[in-house]
Amino acid sequence: MTSSSAASSSSSAASSSAATVSRGPDPEPPGPRTGPAPRGGGPARVSRRGRARTGWFFASPALLVIATVTVFSVLFSLLLSFADVRLEYGGFRILSLTGDHYAAVLSSPEWRHALVFTFGFTAVTVFLELVLGTAAALVLERLGAARGWVLAVLLLPWALINVVAAQLWGYLFNGTYGGLTWLFEQLLGHQPDILGQPASAMGAMVVVDVWKTTPFVAIVVLAGLMLIPGDVYEAAEIDGAGAWTTFWKVTLPQLRPIMAIAVLFRILQAFGIFDLPFVLTQGGPGTATESLAILGYKTLFQNLDIGRGAAVATTTAVIVIGCCLLFLRVFRTQADEGGRA
Amino acid sequence: MSRRAPASGIRRYLNPVNLGGLAIVVLSTLPLYWMIASSFKGPGEISAAPPSLVPESATLGNYAEAFVRNGIGRYLLNSVLVASVSTVAVLGLSFFAGYALARTPLRGRGAIMTALLMLSVFPPIALVVPLFLLERQLGLLNSYAGLIVPYVALNLPFALWIMRNYLVGIPRELEEAATVDGAGPLRTVLTVIAPLARPGLFTAGIFTFTATWAEFLLALTFNSEDGHRTVPVGIALFTSQYTVPYGTLFAGAVAATVPIGVLVMIFRRSIVSGMTSGAVKG
Repeated sequence: MTSSSAASSSSSAASSSAATVSRGPDPEPPGPRTGPAPRGGGPARVSRRGRARTGWFFASPALLVIATVTVFSVLFSLLLSFADVRLEYGGFRILSLTGDHYAAVLSSPEWRHALVFTFGFTAVTVFLELVLGTAAALVLERLGAARGWVLAVLLLPWALINVVAAQLWGYLFNGTYGGLTWLFEQLLGHQPDILGQPASAMGAMVVVDVWKTTPFVAIVVLAGLMLIPGDVYEAAEIDGAGAWTTFWKVTLPQLRPIMAIAVLFRILQAFGIFDLPFVLTQGGPGTATESLAILGYKTLFQNLDIGRGAAVATTTAVIVIGCCLLFLRVFRTQADEGGRA
Repeated sequence: MSRRAPASGIRRYLNPVNLGGLAIVVLSTLPLYWMIASSFKGPGEISAAPPSLVPESATLGNYAEAFVRNGIGRYLLNSVLVASVSTVAVLGLSFFAGYALARTPLRGRGAIMTALLMLSVFPPIALVVPLFLLERQLGLLNSYAGLIVPYVALNLPFALWIMRNYLVGIPRELEEAATVDGAGPLRTVLTVIAPLARPGLFTAGIFTFTATWAEFLLALTFNSEDGHRTVPVGIALFTSQYTVPYGTLFAGAVAATVPIGVLVMIFRRSIVSGMTSGAVKG
């Protein structure tokens, strides 16, 4: 096991170590120089160039699929966002190229509203999921024998289809006979129209998303907790740190890298949210819960405004990628300062 | 680890950790229980004003309705087909490419890995337009291939990432031994690496299957015609009628959840280790 883990850690420095090894094209097969000396009578070792050819042979089908479908779509979408597109029977035609869509999108109140809502939804849900997920992970870590079972139960909401979760909570929030509506009626004395009011509809969406995806954060953070070496805690205990201090000064800094990955994942998903508002609120009441993805969908498939829809989609993609890069940069500087990368 | 002296009797179990565990279990399962219970309630009971915790007169009528009248069986079949073909294709492609990226001296490997990460970041809404126009042109709307091809392409980057991280951890000596014995690269990969990679394949497979099983946006826009609808679209469009037949809806929802729930329970260790390694190495 030691040799294998050593091998894995040495090669999981991956690109860097491999790059040094394979730097520059080898004019001739290097022969016995690289590996251990060939055993007597064994076939000659495969040349580096031969191995690279094998590599391309194995990798090209997957890379080809990704390139033709995904990369092509990204570029085509970019083109469409500058185009006036007319749908015709069985096809489409690009009439002209303009930059008008972006001007129209960026100055439209619908887009601004969707942007604010999407940002707010992402910030609130990701924050709540991080706090609750960390709390759940701390509980799970201490549970002992029951941990396996609780973990299994946690996977159920995570595995539930988003659309099913949206329908289920739509029933619970239903204005006339939903279970939660009934509960609130007992507590407040009147029947709240949860999905019919902008503020409570947004709150309902947050509740459903937090319910469904906190398990993901909890499991990832739990994995991080398991990696913290025990002697760190012993040292903290010797220093006389209380539970609270230990958590803030020892546990949390150690968890930061893994939390960053979980948060990044969640930001990406929350920012592109589509199925939850589509089913739970249809973006309503009015446009209260209209996310950027819903706005893009409506522009594309209800108004059949292809160019403008592509522009909405592109702005979403640019913001997502921008957020990612910014987040990674901020996190990396923090991690460098914090010592543990 | 435990600093407190053990208390006696029932108070031994009434500590914050156990109460937290209980809260996690109740919060996770109560809504799901509500869905299952409601799927057995008759039309009067499902809208009754104090809602009943246990179905008073349990009926299978909703299930009959969902399968016979609403064709949920057809949607399930479509979903099983699309998700499993996509998963098999993703596994095949990502296994070989993952091996290449983990083990062979490809030039530009770092650039490829970065590009893969950037691509898996792209929000689906940005890909829907071009793919829709393309599929419309090619006559692929409302076909299985029209969903499988984009699903494979969209799930490949992440699966490849998992496979590559897994294969990097397999000791090199094993395949070297096979090479010395005279096996060609393809045979080495299939007979030596593939069996060792099984846990990685399970992880990539379960993530791909759950993602394709639940995918909604592309399925809604590309395959909205009844015969090719997948489960999420079928369940979402239940509401488009004027009153929501919740009993039937939940029967369909339970039918859509059971297969994925069983899979997740069987492969739960792969899921947890996948989230873990994805988070640690990603």
